Order: sequence, then C-alpha cells, then structure tokens
Amino acid sequence: MLNNYLKIAWRNLYKNKVFSLIHILGLTIGITVCMMIFLFIMNEFSMDRFHQKGKNIYRVMRSAEAFKIKVPYLSGPYAPALLNDFPTEIKKAVRVMTSQKLISFGNHAFNEKKVYVVDSDFFSLFTFPLIKGDAHTALKDPGNVVLTESTAKKYFGDEDPMGKVIEMDKHQPLKVTGVAKDVPSNSHLNFDLVIPISNYFKENWFNEWINNNGFTYVLLDEHVNPADLEKRFPAFMEKYMGKDMARIQAHFDLSLTPLNAIYFEDSSSFDDVKHGDKSVVYIFLSIAVLILVIACINFMNLSTVRAVERSKEVGLRKVLGALRNHLMWQFIGESVLLTVISCGFSMLLLMLLMPWYNNLLGYSLSVSWTAWPIYLFLIGVIVAVGFLAGSYPAFILSGFSPIQALKGKFKLGKGGAMFRQGLVVLQFSISVFLIVGTLIINNQMSYVKNKDLGYDKEQSVVVPVSSDDLYRNLNLFKTELKSNSNVASVSLMSGEPGGFYDIHSFEVEGQQDVFKPNTEFADFDFVKTLGLKVIAGRDFSAQYPTDSTNAILINRTAATKLGFTPEQAIGKWVKNNMRDESRRRIVGVIEDYNFLSLKENINALFISPVEDWRVVVIKLKPGRIQNGLGVIKDAYRKAAPVYPFEYSFLNQKFDTVYKEDLRQQTILSIFSGLAIFIACLGLFGLSLFTAAKRTKEIGVRKVLGSSVHNIMLLLSKDMLKPVLIATFIAMPIGYYCMDKWLQNFVYRTPLHWWIFMLAAMITFGIAILTVSFQSIKAARANPVKSLRSE
Amino acid sequence: MLSLQHLSKYYQSGGNKTFVLNDVSLDVDEGEFVSIMGPSGSGKSTLLNIIGMLDEPSEGYQYFAGEAVHLLKDKQRSALSRTYMGYVFQAYHLIDELTVYENIETPLIYQNIKGSERKALVADILDRFNIVGKKDLFPSQLSGGQQQLVGIARALIAKPKLLLADEPTGNLNSKQGDEIMELFLKLNKEDGVTIIQVTHSEKNAEYGSRIINLLDGKIESSRVLNHQ
Ligand SMILES: Nc1ncnc2c1ncn2[C@@H]1O[C@H](COP(=O)(O)OP(=O)(O)OP(=O)(O)O)[C@@H](O)[C@H]1O
Ligand SMILES: [Mg+2]
Repeated sequence: MLNNYLKIAWRNLYKNKVFSLIHILGLTIGITVCMMIFLFIMNEFSMDRFHQKGKNIYRVMRSAEAFKIKVPYLSGPYAPALLNDFPTEIKKAVRVMTSQKLISFGNHAFNEKKVYVVDSDFFSLFTFPLIKGDAHTALKDPGNVVLTESTAKKYFGDEDPMGKVIEMDKHQPLKVTGVAKDVPSNSHLNFDLVIPISNYFKENWFNEWINNNGFTYVLLDEHVNPADLEKRFPAFMEKYMGKDMARIQAHFDLSLTPLNAIYFEDSSSFDDVKHGDKSVVYIFLSIAVLILVIACINFMNLSTVRAVERSKEVGLRKVLGALRNHLMWQFIGESVLLTVISCGFSMLLLMLLMPWYNNLLGYSLSVSWTAWPIYLFLIGVIVAVGFLAGSYPAFILSGFSPIQALKGKFKLGKGGAMFRQGLVVLQFSISVFLIVGTLIINNQMSYVKNKDLGYDKEQSVVVPVSSDDLYRNLNLFKTELKSNSNVASVSLMSGEPGGFYDIHSFEVEGQQDVFKPNTEFADFDFVKTLGLKVIAGRDFSAQYPTDSTNAILINRTAATKLGFTPEQAIGKWVKNNMRDESRRRIVGVIEDYNFLSLKENINALFISPVEDWRVVVIKLKPGRIQNGLGVIKDAYRKAAPVYPFEYSFLNQKFDTVYKEDLRQQTILSIFSGLAIFIACLGLFGLSLFTAAKRTKEIGVRKVLGSSVHNIMLLLSKDMLKPVLIATFIAMPIGYYCMDKWLQNFVYRTPLHWWIFMLAAMITFGIAILTVSFQSIKAARANPVKSLRSE
Repeated sequence: MLSLQHLSKYYQSGGNKTFVLNDVSLDVDEGEFVSIMGPSGSGKSTLLNIIGMLDEPSEGYQYFAGEAVHLLKDKQRSALSRTYMGYVFQAYHLIDELTVYENIETPLIYQNIKGSERKALVADILDRFNIVGKKDLFPSQLSGGQQQLVGIARALIAKPKLLLADEPTGNLNSKQGDEIMELFLKLNKEDGVTIIQVTHSEKNAEYGSRIINLLDGKIESSRVLNHQ
C-alpha cells in the first residue's frame, strides 16, 4: 500500500512540475530559515552550559546605589577574603582579568586582545579542556602561559608549542605549559591566551580594595543556598570596605549571579563579556514560527485547490474500495514526502549557506550533523508541516462523494473557500507585519546613525593607550602630533564619546547629598578636539595655570540636575570624593552631547583635567586623512616601538556600539524578505490555478468583446482582496509591536504614517506583480484555442 | 441476491421534488444478466449507482445479500460493496497516474490482500484478458477498447459476485463492443457472475437474460429472454 501511495505521490509531483516546484521551493526556504534560527537559538540557550561544575559556579557582582546595574568588577583582595571568611561555603574563588598584551618571539609580534589573567584554578573550575598540559599545574608559576589551539597554531604552526618561550610586553618571558581547546561560541568567557594572575601579587594596585578591575567567580558547596550566602555579604563588606565606603560616601553590596544566567544579563559598558538578549531570541523565534506558518499555508492552499484536479482519482479510489482513512493517509503521505524532500534540500542549502550565515552573525555556529537535536527538529518540521498542513487537504479530498467526483462536477465548498481566503489573509498579514517591522527597524537605525550627537565625529582618529610604553611617552606623542601640519588638534582623555565612563561621587556646593555624575578625565584640548560648545563660562585654558588642580567643566544636564542654570553653575565648588584632595570650581558649562550610546539618556558629566589617559583622539585637518594617518603611525612607532599600531575612526564608533543591532537588522530584513517571497510564491500558485480554471470563462468573455485590461482586472481583483484585508489587519498590530520595540531606545524615530503607506505599497506591488504575471498570460491567450480545449 | 422495494430518489429543487426514480421495485437473482434500457435522463445510471451503493436512495428499502442496506452505516456499506461488487464505466475511469498493472491491483490493496497473492491474481487476469504485454503502459497509451478491457479486468480482480456496468460499450466501436459483450456472457455463464448493465443498444441488451425498460424513473416493462 505504502509503495502504491509513494508511486502515485512521486508521479503526481513529477506531473505537476510547477506546483511541485512552488511547494518545494517555498518549503525549502522556510525550513532552511527555521533551521538557521534553530541553530542560533540552540546556541543562545546552550550558553555556558558545558561547564561540568557549572551548577555551582557563580560570578560575584557588586552593586552600588550610584549604578542602576550590577557591576562584575572586583579588586584583587576580594577572592582571598571571601575564601577566608566563608571557608565551608565557598570551595574555590577564581579571579579573571581581561587584558591586552603584546606577545613577541623571534621577529614576530602580536597585539593580543583576548588575554585572560587568572588564578591557577581557572582550568579546574571551568571546563575548558586542555589538549596538552595539566589543568591543575599549567598555571602554577607566574612564568607560565596557556594558549588556545588556534593561537598555538598561529604562533608555531605545526611545531609542538609545549615548552616554547614567548615574551609578554617585551619584558617578561612566558613558557607555554598548556594548550587549551578553542573556546566554543557558546561561552561568555572568551580567550586566546591565559596567564597566571600571580604575576601581579606584588603590585600595589592589585592589593587595594577599591581598585576594581576583574571578575571573581566562586564555586559554592553543593549544599549552600546562594541567597543565604548573599545575606551575609553586607557584614563582609562592612568588615573590609567599611572605611573606604564611608570616605567616598558610597555603599556597595555583593550578590551572586549563576554562571548560566550571566549571558542573558543586561549588557553594558561595565561588563565587556559576551552578552545575549532574550528579546532578540524571542523575535527570532517568532520569525521562525511565522515563516513556517506562511509555508504551511501555501501548502494547504495549493494542495486543496489542486485537489479538484484529482477529484477523479479520489472518486475512483473510493469506488474501488478505498475508505476515507486510506485516502487521508495517501494525501498526508504525499505532503510528508514533499516535506521530506524539502528537508533534504534544506540540509544541503544550510550546508552551503553556513559560512555566509556565520559571517552575518559575526560568530561561528556549527551544525552538528551527528547529534540528535537537528534531526529532532527536522522530524518536528516534518510532523508539523507534513501532517498538520497535509491533513486539511487530505480531509477535504477524502470527503468527495465518489459519484460527484467521477462526474467531474465537484466544487470546493463555499465555507472552505472562505477558510482558504482566511489563510491567505493570515499569510499576508504576517508579511505586511514583517515589512512594517523591517522598515521601522531600518528607519530607527538610520535615525540613530544620522542623529546629531552634539560632537564633531568627522576626521577624528582614536588611538587607545594600550601599552605602558605609549602611556609613558604620551606627552611626547601628543607634542609630536600637535606640531604636524596635518593635525588640527590632539586630546588625551579617559573615554571617547561612545566609550567608557566611570561614575564617581562628588560633593557639590549647596547640595545635601553626594552627586554621582559620569566622569571624564581629559586634557585642556578636550573641548576643542571634540568640537563641543561652551554655553557658559569658559573652557580649560593654559592661561590659568591652576586649572589642572582647581577647575572643572560640567555639562548642561549636570547643571540642570543640580538645580542651576548654566550661568548659576559657574563658580560653584565641587569635590571628587574618590580622586581629589581639594575642591574644584566649575569654570564652564558645555552643551550636552551623547557621550554614552544612544541607548542611554544623556547623563550628568563632570570633566576634570586629571591625568587618567586611556585614549588619544586626534582631529585631522579636512582632506588630510591619509597623510594624517601616516603621521600618527610614525609618532606611534616612536612612542611605542614594538607595538602594532591600532586605531579607529570616531565616526565608526557607531558601527561598533550598534554592531549587534545592525547585525540583527540585516538578518531580520533578509528573513522577512524571504517570508514575503514565500507568501508570494503561494499567491503565484493560486493565481496560476485560478487562471487555469477560468481559461474557458476568459475565452468566452474575450469572444464577447472583453478587453485584455478588463479581464486582467477581473482576475486580479479576487486575488488581491485578501491582500487588502491583510494590510488593514497587520497595520495596527505592527504599530503596536513596533511601538513597544522602540521603547528600548532613548532616542527614537516617530512611527511615521509613510512607513505604513510604504509597507502597504510594497506588499501590493509585489502581490500585483505576482498575480498579473498570470493574469496577463491568461488574458492574452487566443480565445479560440482555449475554447476548443474544453 | 438483491431486492429493491418502493425505492425513490428525488432532488429538492425550489420547494418541489424532482423524482429521478419513482417507486421502483426490483429483484435480481444470483446468476442473472440484466440489461437496463431507457431514454436519456430516465434514471438508469442513478439506479445502477444505488444498486452499487455509490449513491443513496431518498426513500425505500434495499436489500443485498441478505442485508438491509438502508440500515447500514457508511463503513459497513462500503465493506459490503467492496467484497461483492465490481464496476465498469462508460468512460473507463482508469487512474491516469497508474500503469495497467497498478490499476488492476488497486482494489486488492484496499482489501488488504498480501503482495505475493496480489501478484498472482493480477498476473492471472492479465493473462486471461491477453494484456500481459501492456501491463507497464499508462492508460493514455492504450486504445479505448484496451482501456475498457483493463477497466473490466480491474472490476473482476477481486472476484465480485455482482458486476455493474454503465454503458460499458458506449465509447467503443461495434466490433469492440461485441467482444466486450461476449466476455460478459462468458463471465455470466462460466463463472456465474451476476451482471447488471446499462445500455442504449438493443443488440447488446439482448445478450442479457432480462431486459428492464426505465421511463421517467419508473420501470415501464420487464422482459425475460429465452436464449437457446
Ligand atoms: N445532482 C442532481 N441534481 C438534480 N438532478 C439530478 C442530479 N443528478 C442527476 N439528476 C437528474 O436525474 C436524472 C437521471 O439521471 P441519470 O444519470 O440517472 O440518467 P440516465 O438514464 O443515466 O441518462 P443517460 O442515458 O443520459 O446516461 C436526469 O434528469 C438528471 O438531470
Ligand atoms: Mg447514464
């Protein structure tokens, strides 16, 4: 029986090549997209789940009222103190500092960005397997280093890396004592080299409690409830940090975040490990479901209308003794066959597209064809599409009365027609919704991109102060550049716009409470280099030699928050509780600019001329970018001879800050484009069918004198009605959802009416094109021919 | 073998009933060969379809092989027709996507007969109808007469007790028609298959043992023929 069904199914597929193609193409695209999304989601949810002790690993987080969020950075003394104070609860405490290092050997030099400085327990706490070396001893001595497989390959090719010596920052030799497997993409920790933190044990800064600069992970005893432990942290903080907290008038507390939860914590500039966004996961999941729905609807509609052509077969089979469920299974079998074929093609397509998809995602996902999840997923698809979508046409078909069917008198019921129109409406509602979504997301991103940020971001090069050499020679570097004719100005600062800003606590004249603005530490050229506007008072100036110790600039928001007009703010004193010994006077107020990303509101900002240089911003003269870069490179080489020259453009900062959003935007656009394509494929199939069914009617009408134009109208009208209804349904839903989405942004574009118009026009344009392609053909056909064929 | 009593079939059209069959009573014994004649639209096909349980009467009583058909459920009725009846149509009605062999095999599949047995049965009938050479062809590759032969082979494959044929020779030339009729006669005489056929041709009707004339949904006359 199965054999018989398969044969018939295959022959039918073969006979109706166009329909089969539409079916398979639509399904293949749909399934491929779903598989891609499936891989993405699987990866997101498998984050950090590979650690064997993961269940009991927590990251210690620090919170303070000044920050709205928890911050993962702790100073060096926390870990030993925690181990000391909670000996039964905390089994292990491992510190992880992310760092950049210059690595050199022979005549190679690499600026390594992903260097982890860790406690020697690192490889026994986390499950990052070592291919070579021993997890327990690899980081025992300060002079050890563990490389990942790729790094080892990059340095030494096929030679055995074990025992090789490399040099860090030109002064410290490190012996390779281990090679770790490359970090998988589903890990929030991500490193290329690992060196022991014992290198810093003697440094002063490392042993100061307030010098927060690394993560601390703890392994709790199985029987410890983290919530109970957290209750004991305030006392712990009081014991070690009490004096410091009183001095800077801030209060910190500790909490524990489970390892599995770290990835989906809010990302912020305060936490530079890899973060995911649950809402993105849900958006992708919805798209996958919507695309599958569209593909299923195609399937149901096309199979059902085609059923008419097969009514004779159905009638006959009934006469020959087939029961209804025989026929049900036959037709379900056919749709399962189609789905299986499509799944096959999808697997091929996925393999072809993986490199492109990885590129799009910005990280590497791999399909594990040997593991069950992907097959489970495919089976799920086959069941969902093959059985569910297949059973509706099967139900309709098997319900034919045999006599009617044999007479060829069979007509699809009115109710059924309504249902199928409803499905088309649903399909196009989804499509219109996705178009609206895509347009609004694109519009928002371009709004954000083109927004006036309040500072001059053109012609500016940002050079990070990434080595001690450069830091020591910064003034030389700056003087050298300033004297060059290609350079307009140079400023040393702690954070460039879009970069990192500390929050410090200040006492301010006339204020009861401490004030907690973001801080910028910059030199006197800061305002000039960024093109900021002073709205009251004056800029820092070399004419006032006391400025470096006595002056401070604030932004308009800071003045407002303090309850001053810009003019009133001038002359008021402030004191940085964490940095300064004495008070400073506000000498100027600058206009607000977006120093944080546009996801955040403009906060209060205090700019002090204090030495804490982390980046150099060099503004070049117009048209001098090429020459200017050469000049900077030369100066860099003089200041930090062995380090590779690294720089970025200030106006590219946007792309890095919004990298993830831009990625998602691209992926979303592509996927919704595909959704619309699949929906149109269905519409095309339907119009093909309608035109074929009405050939005779068209012939008669033409003989009676109808014009091609009239006939086209006649044919297209019916097809386009559901699209029109869909547009009206999808618009309000799209409005509602996108309004919600835009709430994520502090700076957002309004939901312009033209976006909705455009979405409607795009949908109609595509639908009309699809439909009229067939209609024209039908309307143009020679009437005599079509009449004779009947 | 079958008995129809006061059987009517009507369609509701705009408040009043249009009768297609009007109070028809008819008994057919096992081994009979009945020819139904009558002008176009007189209800011949309708009657045949009701006998074949492809259609239901609006009123009346219908018995087949000792069962009260009008009381049976769909499933039971279809089981009954499946085991007892074979159908031959004027328009052949072969499944276009299946080969000759597969067309003939299909009824056996629905009766859950095992593969090896099916093979033997189909081979047997192909041989009997002399169409072994055509078994892998599709219906579109056959002449009308050949298609009807396949249709009959398919109707007979499950060894029915009753063969229902609606104008089996309607689309054939007279020579082909004669051959089919000879075949029917032989089936009736040698294999004891009961046959009810609808025909417009007096000559073909004469092959039967009884001719029933239908007019406006009523049996106008019934005539028993005595063949030598
Ligand atoms: N679904 C229907 N609705 C209304 N009337 C019907 C329907 N089906 C058949 N009829 C009518 O029933 C009558 C008998 O039809 P039937 O097919 O039994 O005639 P017939 O004797 O086989 O004619 P022919 O020799 O042309 O095959 C016809 O007048 C036809 O119009
Ligand atoms: Mg008839």
